Amino acid sequence: MADPFDSALDLLRRLNPKHITKNLNALIGLVPDLTEDLLSSVDQPLQIVRCKKTGRDYLLCDYNRDGDSYRSPWSNEFDPPLSDGTVPSEKVRKMEVAANEAFDVYRELYYEGGVSSVYFWNLDDGFAGVVLLKKSSTATSKNQGTWDSIHVFEALDRARTAHYKLTSTVILNMESNEDALGKMDLSGNMTRQIEADLPVEDDSSHIVNIGRLVEDMELKMRNLLQEVYFGKAKDVVNDLRSVNNLTEVNRDRAAHSEVMSSMLRR
Amino acid sequence: MSAVNTASSFIENAPPGELTEVINDIGSLLDDLSISDKLAPAVEKYNKEQFVTTKLPGGSALVIVSEHNDLGGGRFYDSESASSFTYNHKTQKASDVQSYPIEGEHASTVKSLLRDVGNHVKEHFPSLPAYGVYPTDDGIAILIVGNKYSPSNYWNGRWRSTYIFNPSSSTLTGSIAVDVHYYEDGNVRLVTEKAVNESLRSTTSAEVARAIASVEKKYQEELNRAFGALSEGAFKNLRRQLPVTRQKMDWQKASAYKIGQDIGGGGRAR
Repeated sequence: MADPFDSALDLLRRLNPKHITKNLNALIGLVPDLTEDLLSSVDQPLQIVRCKKTGRDYLLCDYNRDGDSYRSPWSNEFDPPLSDGTVPSEKVRKMEVAANEAFDVYRELYYEGGVSSVYFWNLDDGFAGVVLLKKSSTATSKNQGTWDSIHVFEALDRARTAHYKLTSTVILNMESNEDALGKMDLSGNMTRQIEADLPVEDDSSHIVNIGRLVEDMELKMRNLLQEVYFGKAKDVVNDLRSVNNLTEVNRDRAAHSEVMSSMLRR
Repeated sequence: MSAVNTASSFIENAPPGELTEVINDIGSLLDDLSISDKLAPAVEKYNKEQFVTTKLPGGSALVIVSEHNDLGGGRFYDSESASSFTYNHKTQKASDVQSYPIEGEHASTVKSLLRDVGNHVKEHFPSLPAYGVYPTDDGIAILIVGNKYSPSNYWNGRWRSTYIFNPSSSTLTGSIAVDVHYYEDGNVRLVTEKAVNESLRSTTSAEVARAIASVEKKYQEELNRAFGALSEGAFKNLRRQLPVTRQKMDWQKASAYKIGQDIGGGGRAR
């Protein structure tokens, strides 16, 4: 019999990704033993809250959660307050602060809005972190979308280099609702991984390295999403039903292959 | 929510062609050997809503299983072959075929609709097409379904058209629904639904088939346009491909400035 965790992940890969949070909660209700494993490995759309101390928005995920409290990347404090909440070491927190400022610039350059948050934590042989970006758009009232980026990485210390392991998920939900079209929902998520060894001179090298890795990954994933959402999905629709009469399509195809083979015979 | 209700809601959401995988996943999650019996009502509901298709023993055409041709007691009928059959929702097989001629006031209309709608389906549904024409209390139900399964390439799709032709009011009502699933290194789903509400110029079967062809063509063109509109509209608005400067971000500058400021004592030197 299949491993229950694998079956749970397989199920979440099949059920409508638009309802990932609802399905995940239902699954946890069904198999409570898998709660921790599922919450730490399944990405959900991010929630935005406002930092009470700085007034800046930040994003919630499993990595800045301690019990029922969440840590703000801007104030380093938990809400609701925790006296003994887990925070990164002073050195890693300094990098975290720098990364938050750098990705805030990145967010403005690429998203021209939205919210970003970066969370770091210590590892025995380095550190790890997550870079979060979220943007919602209402291009027109009948055409809207939400983008959530979740980049989880590890940076493992080596001599004068670091080994980076990046797992990136983008959750992209879009919908259109117009009289002539009716309801159209195009939602989902895609995940990609990459590993790289990059030179490290000082702590700021990590910000540069992680920044470039995330930037390249997002560019790749944006192209991939474009291809799958607006290319592949559309192609499948037109494989299901042919706009043109199949008799004509087949006649044209036969004529075309006739031309091709007569050209080859020359 | 009970385990059976939760599992049933998962079945209702199964993508085209992936019901078996969804049921297997549920089976491996639940420590309940009788779960497949408990899920039988959800599976039956799913099959009828999704117009699951099957071949009759000895037949080559696909026939539809739906609420519109449900005779009760696990039996359904196909007007094209004038037969009824038992459908096993678990094994997805038809058996026990019996003669079932269409009789009554709509018999000749059903016959001519089968011919004209059949021609339409042949011209526009290249992959695993099936259709059915069934007289019901509300009018004559006309169902069309086309599936394309490509699990080795991680995608599956289904097109469903449901029409109720009402000869006394000369109307064609119903809906068109498309469901596409792509799941290579991810999970992407297209779900659409469009209501159909047409007035017919006459009540001939040719006119009904013409209206269906016209409604579907218009919808498909609208859907194709919508992919472009979302790509050029909402998608572009979410994230730029490159910053306005057309250059990637200067991380060296961003990090040197910030770390210098934070680690080097916080003094703003510039």
